[in-house]
Amino acid sequence: MLHGFRYAAPRSRSELLDLLAEHGDHAKVLAGGTDLLVNIRGGNMKPGLVIDVKRVEGYGGLAWDPAEGLSLLPAATINDVLRDKRVRANFPLLAVCAQDLASYQIRNRATVIGNVVNASPCSDMAPALLCLGARAEIASARGSRSVLFSEFFTGVKKTVLAKDEILERIVVPASAAGTKGEYRKLKRINGHDLGIVGVAIARKNGSLRIAVSSAAPTPVLVAGLPGTASVDEAVAAVLAAVSPISDVRCTKEYRLFMIETFVRRLMEEMK
Amino acid sequence: MLENQDPATLKYVGKGALRAEGVEKMTGQAVYASDMVMPGMLYAQVKKSPHARAKILGIDVSKAEALPGVRAVLVGSELDYRLGLYVVDKDILAKGEVRHYGEAVAAVAADTLEIAKAAVDLIEVKYEVLPPILNHMDALKKDAPLVHPDLGTYDFVKAAFTPVPGTNIANLTKLRKGDVEKGFAESEWIIEREYTNPSVQHVPMETHVAIVQWKTGDDVTIWTSAQSPFTVRSLFCYAFKLPLNKVRVVIPHVGGGFGGKAGIHIEPLVACLSRKAGGAPVKFQATREEEFSLLPCRSALTYRIKTGVRSDGKIVAQKMSMYWDAGAYADYAVNVTRASGYSGAGPYEIPNAWLDAYTIYTNKPYGTAYRGFGHVEFFWGLERHMELVAQAIGMDSLEFRRKNALRPGSVTLTGEVISENSGNVLKCINEAAASIGYGSLSADEKAREKETGRKIGKGIAALHKAPAMPPFTATAVIIRMNSDGTVLVNLALTEIGQGSVTAYSQIVAERLKFRLDQVKVTVEKDTDRDPYDWQTVASKGIILTGNACILACDDLLKGAYETAGQILRAQSCDLDHDDTRVFVRHHPEQGVTFASIAVGYAYPDGNAIGGPLIGVGRYVAQGLSNLDKETGQGYPALDWTYGAHGIVVEVDPATGEFRILKIASIFDVGKAINPDLVRGQCIGGMVQGLGTAVCEGYIYDQEGHLLNPSFTDNKIPTSKDIPDEIDCAVVETPQLDGPYGARGVGEHPMISVAPALGNAIQHAVGAELLHMPIRAEDVWRAMRNSGPIDNWITKTPSGSCRSDPAARRHDPDHAITP
Amino acid sequence: MTRISLTVNGKRYERDVAENRTLLRFLREDLGLIGTKEGCGAGECGACTVLFDGLTVNSCMVLAVEADGRAVETIEGEAKDGKLSDLQEAFQKHHAVQCGFCTPGMIMSTRELLHRTPKPTVAEIKEGIEGNFCRCTGYQQIVEAVLDVSGQLEKKGELRHA
Repeated sequence: MLHGFRYAAPRSRSELLDLLAEHGDHAKVLAGGTDLLVNIRGGNMKPGLVIDVKRVEGYGGLAWDPAEGLSLLPAATINDVLRDKRVRANFPLLAVCAQDLASYQIRNRATVIGNVVNASPCSDMAPALLCLGARAEIASARGSRSVLFSEFFTGVKKTVLAKDEILERIVVPASAAGTKGEYRKLKRINGHDLGIVGVAIARKNGSLRIAVSSAAPTPVLVAGLPGTASVDEAVAAVLAAVSPISDVRCTKEYRLFMIETFVRRLMEEMK
Repeated sequence: MLENQDPATLKYVGKGALRAEGVEKMTGQAVYASDMVMPGMLYAQVKKSPHARAKILGIDVSKAEALPGVRAVLVGSELDYRLGLYVVDKDILAKGEVRHYGEAVAAVAADTLEIAKAAVDLIEVKYEVLPPILNHMDALKKDAPLVHPDLGTYDFVKAAFTPVPGTNIANLTKLRKGDVEKGFAESEWIIEREYTNPSVQHVPMETHVAIVQWKTGDDVTIWTSAQSPFTVRSLFCYAFKLPLNKVRVVIPHVGGGFGGKAGIHIEPLVACLSRKAGGAPVKFQATREEEFSLLPCRSALTYRIKTGVRSDGKIVAQKMSMYWDAGAYADYAVNVTRASGYSGAGPYEIPNAWLDAYTIYTNKPYGTAYRGFGHVEFFWGLERHMELVAQAIGMDSLEFRRKNALRPGSVTLTGEVISENSGNVLKCINEAAASIGYGSLSADEKAREKETGRKIGKGIAALHKAPAMPPFTATAVIIRMNSDGTVLVNLALTEIGQGSVTAYSQIVAERLKFRLDQVKVTVEKDTDRDPYDWQTVASKGIILTGNACILACDDLLKGAYETAGQILRAQSCDLDHDDTRVFVRHHPEQGVTFASIAVGYAYPDGNAIGGPLIGVGRYVAQGLSNLDKETGQGYPALDWTYGAHGIVVEVDPATGEFRILKIASIFDVGKAINPDLVRGQCIGGMVQGLGTAVCEGYIYDQEGHLLNPSFTDNKIPTSKDIPDEIDCAVVETPQLDGPYGARGVGEHPMISVAPALGNAIQHAVGAELLHMPIRAEDVWRAMRNSGPIDNWITKTPSGSCRSDPAARRHDPDHAITP
Repeated sequence: MTRISLTVNGKRYERDVAENRTLLRFLREDLGLIGTKEGCGAGECGACTVLFDGLTVNSCMVLAVEADGRAVETIEGEAKDGKLSDLQEAFQKHHAVQCGFCTPGMIMSTRELLHRTPKPTVAEIKEGIEGNFCRCTGYQQIVEAVLDVSGQLEKKGELRHA
């Protein structure tokens, strides 16, 4: 059962931004709803207004521009990403991470933008976006700004988004097209589960980027490693960047061990 | 009975009939209690304790009562009724003190679910938080606080149980056979180990739900998702001191039970709300989160086993101590303790045995029946122990099991002599071993190891179980013939998914020589209409109700032959019948149709004889006895179903991650009445056993808050978690007092899956696992000989690096989210 | 309250719904379509799976107001003219149902799976129903039913008599 709230489904961007400007402090944006409705049901969020952004004109799906790159819009679901041939051709890491997110029917509903805005440290899409150097295009009635994902997450379930802002487009730069990537996620069962730890590695043109989820208050990016970095150097850099804890899902010791193991194995596989 | 019937003459028994109520379920038209709505129905919500142990200093319900649409608010001090299956220790709502996280302290009935929820949020409870006793081993200590200081004043079933007043011991079951010290003195090796497992949740897909209407004049109707209509009725009437004919229990389709819906649970509370609301029907359905802590779970267990073995590998002495964590109330845990006590050595002969089994109160959600009734838990320890003992004495563990397995002439722990017809555990073990190629790796497996770098191991674990039930357990079946010659079968063994309706239809069609489509076994159960059955538990349904079906068929035919005999001027001994007629055996053209005699036969002139044909079959367990309270000797077992699992596992030797490549599950079922249904039980139970084995378990913090009361952090197996290859097979050693030789197998597939996996993992990578579930990290730790994970009563700060602070509230009225 | 208009199993409905009403409760309580079940209310178990514009969703995780103008399909639309669909027949034949509580959602998930992948592999079937918990069957017979209805089952799964 969900507590009472009002519902708005703006048709235009300006209508949406006005709603956020006026009600941002007690409103929540609804895209796929697979995190938001769980939070409302659990009493963790009590928005007075729920703003459904799926009917805003121009907010659907994915767009490709050879110069700019791939745009993921607010209504783009995880399965939209998986079905898109351009994604598989240019950014396979996005598809690999998307494939590991929850169950099929959740992927039909959950959006990429929702997954990163929720800002869970165990986000499956964040590692891919961090590795690919993606940026968040943020809008409000006050104007627009652009933030790299490496600067986007600020804490557990916290981002740079102000209450009147919306992340209205993720841009995966054209320059990252052709990046080779892999993702390894530790789960408690083979079926759908949150990541206990997740490691993504991306290689392109002599650069090596590694992102780790569930290992710190935010998803972690280790950038700036040379393509020639050894396995040990990569491991050392990653372990220096993460700070996992023990919880009901796993101990700190095993998280650290598995992060190291995943980094080593992915480095070997992607040589 | 009928165990020697030539299979070639059987038309339905032993064949794979389709599920009788399958079409209803397939189309979404089957109605479950959770789908039901009654005219004028109110909705209930429950206020639950956020503390494991606290004094209730006061409850202010004034704001809740003032909320428009609220029709009844209840607190414990208004209710002077106590419940309990075997030890009467539980109030309907907590009074004075709360004893576990999630316990009900107040309840509301209102016009809508939303109003009821809002009202519950307005109830203010003042608590004085007390230090909880969480670890059941600590609860045994002399100075431990008492969960039930008044234990000495409680009623209990004296024939079977022994509470110890002034302690936290709800029951102590003792078993003594031979001279255990003498046995140890004769032993070449003595090996002692301790094995543990946490509480788990049943997870029926339909949570507990009931609608109750307490009408003026104390006429009560209960519609509920429960396993046992007559037990709900008898315990309800015991608590409220009502005559049994004032209370009607109706059970529609049930969305899974697994023991969690045996006994009585939310029905009394909902009934009290209905009465206070002036007799309107009231509905309560547990949320998934409430299912974990408002409703009961399976008990945790610590099992210590000390085994003495002779130089030839024969076990000569075994001392066993079981410490069962009952949680806050005794419920079924005391009987789990009793049943596990008398079969705690497994399907092995132990000449000198000593067993003490304690049921221990703690401040945690309480334990109840769960598929296997203790055997899933203690077989984890027992079959891991068999493996470790074999290893210690340098004997192959399969050979060690064979050497000690029960065989005709063996004497069980309680003094029962095993016969040729008791079932064949050796054959089950051998078949499981053969199916997985135990003892060596095939060329393919070796190649796979080389290619993947992972290690393949093979493990075996055996099992047995007898129904845990009173020695006088009884049931009855009524068959009524309709005027077209079809029949309606009434019995109170509840269809909870196991396929009982189908199996009984097959037995009735077989015995009557009718077509299957002439037989309807009712799905909905109704204590006002159906004949008595004790409970739908314990894998006893196929024998007891199956026999009663056969007897009811015979009774129906006797009546039919009497009427037909008069019409045909023939004695019954000269009559025979088929699916439509009764006829003279040596003049088959002389006959009458069942249709013409079903509700009485009318001659052409209107004169009539006979009357409606009804068959009654009554069956009560034969030859069982209470167990001696000091020695545990006696006859507790209706039947023993034996089995074994063999598992092939592939383990990553670095990380401990593993994958189950194959499982072989073999059971001696006596006779598979419906092989497809038996296979369904085998695979379904095995996968539920895998859940217990690899990922399920309650995790508490130091204050006794349950940290994982949902699917977010209590995972259950999905379609991607089943073994790559599944082999299910049966051995058929007929049970002489089973219908067509059959014996029960509902619970058994879940037993010993975990130790088979643990043994296979040990064969693969040498990890010595003593705790289940077995998670990748447990294997990793065991490979490194580092200590177990501290997370069943964890010292780890609650919440996680991923948790929103709001999610750490430990408020059972609200869900916890990722 | 918000006025919504949608089709369910091809039939048109117009209703006023509370904004916080889930599609699941709307189907069950407002339209009386009780075939769709609630198993967890949190998008984990799949008992409430329905098709939403042709794609499976957990209806407990969708607001009824979001269904305005959409097409929803539930288990009640699966059998046609009083006859089970081939998929339902296969579930029956292979004993892919026990207590039946997960079955409606399971059938909706396999329905969509077969629509997008007419001949799914075992791995694809398992992936396709991963979001639908079944506590009774152990999934194997469900996999066999889907293999059979897609014309790929080599041999019916059987209990072996040792």
